[in-house]
Amino acid sequence: MFKMSEYSFMAGLISVGLALLCYVAAFASVRLARRQSALALDGGHAGSTMLSGQSVEVTRGPSSLAGYGTLIAWLALIFVSAALVFRTIAVGHGPFANMYEFSIAFAWGVLAAHVYFERRYHLRALGLFALPVALLLLLYATTIPSTSDPLVPALQNNLLLTTHVAVAIVAYGGFAVAFAAAALHLIASYTGSRRLPRLELLDEISYRAVVIGFPFLTLVIVLGAVWANVAWGRYWGWDPKETASLVTWLIYGAYLHARVVRGWRGNRAAWLLVAGFAATLFTYFGNLFFGGLHSYSGLNQ
Amino acid sequence: MTQLSRTTAIERRAAAASIGSDLDSDAVFSPSGALEWLWATFTSMRLALALMLGLALLALAGSVIIQAPAGVASDPGAYNAWLQGLKPRYGGFTTIFDKLGLFNVFASVWFRGLAVALTTSILACSIKRAPTLWRAAVHPRTRMSETFYGSAPYSENIATRMSTADALATTQRVFRANRYRTIVDTDATTGITHLYVDQNRWAPFGTVIAHLAVVIVLVGGMVGSIMGYRDEGFAVPVGSTVAVGGGTGLSVEAVSFSDSYYDNGAPSDYASSLVVYREGTPVAAKTIRVNDPLEVDGTAFYQSFFGPAAVMAVSDASGASLYQGGVPLLWSSDDDTRRIGQLALSDQNILVYVVGVASGRVDANIRAGQIQLEIYRTGEQQPIAIETLDQGEPLLIGGLTYTFKREQQFTGLIVARDPGQPLVWLGALALVLGCFLVFLFPNRRIWAAVKAGPDGAQVSLGATARHDAAFAPEFTKLTEQVRLAFAGAA
Repeated sequence: MFKMSEYSFMAGLISVGLALLCYVAAFASVRLARRQSALALDGGHAGSTMLSGQSVEVTRGPSSLAGYGTLIAWLALIFVSAALVFRTIAVGHGPFANMYEFSIAFAWGVLAAHVYFERRYHLRALGLFALPVALLLLLYATTIPSTSDPLVPALQNNLLLTTHVAVAIVAYGGFAVAFAAAALHLIASYTGSRRLPRLELLDEISYRAVVIGFPFLTLVIVLGAVWANVAWGRYWGWDPKETASLVTWLIYGAYLHARVVRGWRGNRAAWLLVAGFAATLFTYFGNLFFGGLHSYSGLNQ
Repeated sequence: MTQLSRTTAIERRAAAASIGSDLDSDAVFSPSGALEWLWATFTSMRLALALMLGLALLALAGSVIIQAPAGVASDPGAYNAWLQGLKPRYGGFTTIFDKLGLFNVFASVWFRGLAVALTTSILACSIKRAPTLWRAAVHPRTRMSETFYGSAPYSENIATRMSTADALATTQRVFRANRYRTIVDTDATTGITHLYVDQNRWAPFGTVIAHLAVVIVLVGGMVGSIMGYRDEGFAVPVGSTVAVGGGTGLSVEAVSFSDSYYDNGAPSDYASSLVVYREGTPVAAKTIRVNDPLEVDGTAFYQSFFGPAAVMAVSDASGASLYQGGVPLLWSSDDDTRRIGQLALSDQNILVYVVGVASGRVDANIRAGQIQLEIYRTGEQQPIAIETLDQGEPLLIGGLTYTFKREQQFTGLIVARDPGQPLVWLGALALVLGCFLVFLFPNRRIWAAVKAGPDGAQVSLGATARHDAAFAPEFTKLTEQVRLAFAGAA
């Protein structure tokens, strides 16, 4: 089962890489085609307005490069899911107990959220930023030991280990997509690129992704508090990881209020989302740098 | 969720008020003006955003910068020593961070001030918003003007060949089939029949619930820190019974303790078998583990740490027993070679430090099966005696007989009584429910007007839905269904 899990993991890693290559190539070729057709038409302006709808988002079906990208991204999701399932069977608990397992699970969350949002909004350009996040997480997983040590006493709570971390995966996946859309938004608005999707659409997708991520992050924190109360005798103790999750929660909370009540749109909101995702990554990696009670990475022995 | 965005009016009023007072040089302080200013300030989303991001920044500092441990922060001497230890790490910033309270961020005046301000803001906003939400849910606006249907972000005009009554009934049927509530409101003067439909009309209350939930959690936290009791270093030697502090009236006996390990040396299990007594009567017994505490009348016992203990007996010249039981060797010496425990014989004004060798270490002065006693008169710096005892052999020191009976383990517990917890869990539950309610059950509102046209009824549909990204496909789906229903019936 360990072997099966590792093969699936490698297949998933390669698929994410390939999918990303397809997206980048598709994006570059659209750009090339755009430039050629813009040259062909004598009025550069007229040419680009005419073609402005024909960005990465409209390419359909597996006949195009981006179509293959989508297909491979789905494959990647399947492989990574399989890796997690095999791992679960092999170790006998949810694959959430050390940095290796959690990195793969996080990458799964990013892939799943990407695939969902791409399908729902027909927006392949998201992959340009979401897939690199997944790829980096999987590459990171290859650099750390994949051994599975038995659970230390504090983690011996199967129900809470599974729910606390599984819910975190959903939240982090949503935030990764919100970040991808925000990053596209910033690039699109600063470069004035017409190849990228409409700014309003990116803005909507970010918001939609946070709307999913935020309640789940709230649940992560509450479940964490329940568990902390059972295992450590207090529901909140300003442990660095707890604090970092609060920072993340406050930033996304501020984003939602800014957008819904104050009508923040565009770059201001996008920067807030970039900060939010930075906080998410800090929450995720923070315990490696600052110790604290969440030191289950298996990397500090 | 459109109801969330009603802050602008009061902000505009506040802005107007401040311009007014700037222009009016005779402006005097008036209590009602001050209240109005406070209200405008705390219901301002700009302030709330600044508070949230400010708290986020402080919390970030709190997770990046080392925080003073609980015991250290409350003891000036220990705190200064601790600060000196940080100098190599933070250099010149040590003093600056200290002055700014960044080594104890979460108790700092900044953090508490911002938290109190945010709580006030949350309460003010909720109070302001609740009536609007209530009206929208219970007495929604059912009529929209003609211009609304022309300018709404989502709008659709459908001409039918039906009578107005049939067109209304058909439209209503479509929305009902999609689980919308429908309200018909006929305007007798214009002859237009208005139809208002909505879904999840209670969901916007999720915002009020979630916001109040945050306040409840904070209040619960405060109740816990004021009225609660917490001892993180409660050590009970196996075979001994130790009284719990904090007015709980409980005492705990450790019947046994076991620590188990995996083959790789990592711990697999810590378990303490406990009996809890109230005034000598056992009231509870359980083997507790790291994820499985014992609770007795609101006081909970958690497995936390363990270590060696020395079972000691002390008696006076007449042979009367002064002490009988285990002494937990709670502290380690600076070089980690020795374990040290404390035994206070208050009636004799005697303080005894019991010193053993840490497991796996060798000590020239204390051999296996031995223990060293450093005996002080209370308040004095110089020991009256330092003696090494062999196991089982009584020794007379300063008129008292000390016996080191055997080595033992102690189990270390966290004892916590937190009367704020029910509030915290209530708040947490409400927070999660509120968040899911608002974000996953969008409140959807659509207005329709049915009026007679030249060939049949004219139906206009319109909606605003500014914050509901998934509304566009929903609106298209619904209007398409209405259109089809008209076509099918004709």
